Amino acid sequence: MTSKNFVSKVITHPPKLVKIANIEAELDLLWAQFNQKINDGQTVMRACMSNLIIYCDNAEELQVISKEITAIVDVHPARVLLLMGKGKPKTGNLDASVAIYYTPQPDGWQVCGERIDVIATEDSTERLPSVARSQLIGDLPTTLWWASRQPPPEAKEVFFQLAKLANQIIYDNMGWTNPAKAVAAMTRWVSAEQDVQIVYGLAWRRFSIWRKLIREVLDPQVAPDALANVRLIELDHGPHALPMTWLLVGWLSSQLKWRAVEGKYISDSESVWRFRHNHRDIKVIARRLPKGNPLIYRLLFDWDGEKGRTCFERLANERIGIIEALSTVPPRVFNAQTPNRATLVSAQLAHRDRDKVFENAMKACNAMADVFQK
Amino acid sequence: MPNIKSDNPLIAGKNMTHVPQPCTLVIFGGGGDLSRRKLLPAVYNQALDGELPANFAVLGFALEDMDDVSYRDFAKKGVEKFSRQAVDDHHWPDFERCLHYLQGSFDNPEVYQQMKKRLEEIEATFGIPGNRVFYLAIPPALIETCVRQLKAAGLVMPVDDVSPFSRIIVEKPIGRDLESARQVNATLCSSFDEKQIYRIDHYLGKETVQNILAMRFSNVIFEPLWNSRYIDHVQITVAEEEGVGTRAGYYDRAGALRDMVQNHILQLLTLIAMEPPWSMSADVMRDHRQSVLNCLRPITSENFDQHVVRAQYGSGFYHGEDVPGYRREDGVSQDSTTETFIALKLFVDNWRWAGVPFYIRTGKRMPKRASEIAIQFKSVPPILFNANHDQPLEPNVLALSIQPNEGLSLRIATKLPGAKLKVFPVKMDFRYGATFGEQSPEAYERLLLDVMAGDASLFMRRDMVESSWSWIDTILNTWSSSRTRWLPEYSAGTWGPLEADRLIENDNRKWRLL
Repeated sequence: MTSKNFVSKVITHPPKLVKIANIEAELDLLWAQFNQKINDGQTVMRACMSNLIIYCDNAEELQVISKEITAIVDVHPARVLLLMGKGKPKTGNLDASVAIYYTPQPDGWQVCGERIDVIATEDSTERLPSVARSQLIGDLPTTLWWASRQPPPEAKEVFFQLAKLANQIIYDNMGWTNPAKAVAAMTRWVSAEQDVQIVYGLAWRRFSIWRKLIREVLDPQVAPDALANVRLIELDHGPHALPMTWLLVGWLSSQLKWRAVEGKYISDSESVWRFRHNHRDIKVIARRLPKGNPLIYRLLFDWDGEKGRTCFERLANERIGIIEALSTVPPRVFNAQTPNRATLVSAQLAHRDRDKVFENAMKACNAMADVFQK
Repeated sequence: MPNIKSDNPLIAGKNMTHVPQPCTLVIFGGGGDLSRRKLLPAVYNQALDGELPANFAVLGFALEDMDDVSYRDFAKKGVEKFSRQAVDDHHWPDFERCLHYLQGSFDNPEVYQQMKKRLEEIEATFGIPGNRVFYLAIPPALIETCVRQLKAAGLVMPVDDVSPFSRIIVEKPIGRDLESARQVNATLCSSFDEKQIYRIDHYLGKETVQNILAMRFSNVIFEPLWNSRYIDHVQITVAEEEGVGTRAGYYDRAGALRDMVQNHILQLLTLIAMEPPWSMSADVMRDHRQSVLNCLRPITSENFDQHVVRAQYGSGFYHGEDVPGYRREDGVSQDSTTETFIALKLFVDNWRWAGVPFYIRTGKRMPKRASEIAIQFKSVPPILFNANHDQPLEPNVLALSIQPNEGLSLRIATKLPGAKLKVFPVKMDFRYGATFGEQSPEAYERLLLDVMAGDASLFMRRDMVESSWSWIDTILNTWSSSRTRWLPEYSAGTWGPLEADRLIENDNRKWRLL
């Protein structure tokens, strides 16, 4: 994991508008100009580990991603193709621009990122995959980061075309407006592509510290009955974090072999599921807090009422506290820094193994969606 | 595979070799230098990165007069100075709660009873199911005492399916010759099962060292060339800038051969020379490394001078400043014959490496701190581009840099731009820090987690330690029988004595310029 004290030294300049046909030549020119500018006997090296295609569909999102690219190529040098559909190009249907990112090294400079932006009008969005296809560097793994708020399969052709170019697909379910429908669509697509591509939800990494703490604090060596006898789970989450909460519950249900029986909204801000395991019911209540960040804030795990209950709670300064009922163990507090999105993406770029636990959690989410009363 | 059992369904699907188990880390010598500089900063970094088990605590144990509060202060100062991540004031108070201290003498049985009680209290508080890792960060002379006291106090659990684990980490040096190493091992094995013993060599926790395996066995292009047909020779250099510093008491009794070659360098050599293992499990990996040690050709008194050069640094310049010679250093006797530099030519007598020399050099007060393994390939035939006998082409070299910059480079020949067909050597460079842009964990961080996870792949097994001492002993015995009163000198701040140059130049080869 990247040290949080790590200071990025990446430098770039404003993107230069170019013709699409000239992108490669313009990138070469930028590199040559940079070499000339240095002109003090130092060498300029180029590091490139991946192609990263990023798709978004509004200008605000593009602005945010532009800033994140610096942090991503700092950790994972890459050629980045930032594609925006439904945009407003300054000229014609498609605008393209290029930029390079570089870092000082002890004995020279290193180009760590080549960025190609292509903005398309809504009508021309379908042309974006053709541009991407021609700009990828051969022999390098390719990742598609689907940064649109639209669940990937709902974007249809542009997503399917871009996905075909990639070895790995990263998406983020934060902010999906209809989690039940989106989860079902995503799970169906993942199942269909199972042996072809690696698919990864950023939410999975975003709450990895929760999974680790739950796994270790409730380990049968430490809390012998907790996992076997759980009967109630209460989850509090911030706005836009319901899909993440859903995934956390999906993980628990797949790992603990629960069968989803029913689920429903009991108010605007509260949903409930019932699971069944070994002739026992397990109830899960998820509550959306009126304000806050899209995070999980509290998780109560109850397996024996007052005698067996552990509460995980997000505290100030990016920490999670753990309180065990009737225990002599005083509350324990752990570092739980929420990684920013660029950190999550750069970490995922380097991990290209299929994660069966995640895929099983996705299947469990789909089972939850199937029994959910809309 | 490590002896890990878990009925935790939330772990299903995860690779258990990488899951550190809940435990208490008991640091013998917890108030010492190793603890302050390496171990406590390593634990802190693991906590910040979320790598430590949730149910975890540290108990420092040493003679120094401290309590929990002052030990936490001691730890904080160590972290502030030596950690790769700065102290985070928001998280430090949460972290320091897991640090505890027990003051006492290592040979006092009552203190071990106090330790037992203290551990039980800590385990109840932190939800730790009795698993314990004992880290012996103490002088070798105290190992026997501590191990026997641990056993007598009932602090060593059996290796079975029901007991919590007890693991012990032992620092180098394991003995100072074969006989004393056997004694240390016998002492350890009298109280602990071999599966519970982790003989640490922090070099093996470094990224580049682990990358030797990844490079050799995950790229198809290297392994076919990795033999005497294509490799001309191998050079291993471990150069230190510093002099003997504050370690004169230990170093003057040890010397470069014991301090560096017996452990770090022979371990590096085993990784370079081993056959492809059929599994990454600890015993398979160690079996294959052990096979290399078995194949080391003994250096006997008959061929000694052609294979070994030892020397001592004299006065000279270090970064432009005057520095004294070894015999003028504090704590070193004026007639010391301890070597501060050694160069060796050795052979691995098996089919793969037949006739390929491994040149090794290590020393103190060298021009810079640098550790490198260089694989030099054979020259291309003296035709075409290599037809000019006056200016032969430089052969390909694959160099693995271990410190200070971890990475690897490959020297290849390429055509110079222009109308003439001239070839020039260029270096393709890969550096961990630059390419990945993130800090690698310290070696101790990785190795501590491996112990908590029960993965002994990167630790030395008893037979490996004894085999390496057995090989080293032949050199030590020749030295001791020669009754040397004088060693060749090299000026501080140089790459060693002329004799070392001759050792390799007699074979028409040269030491690499680092």
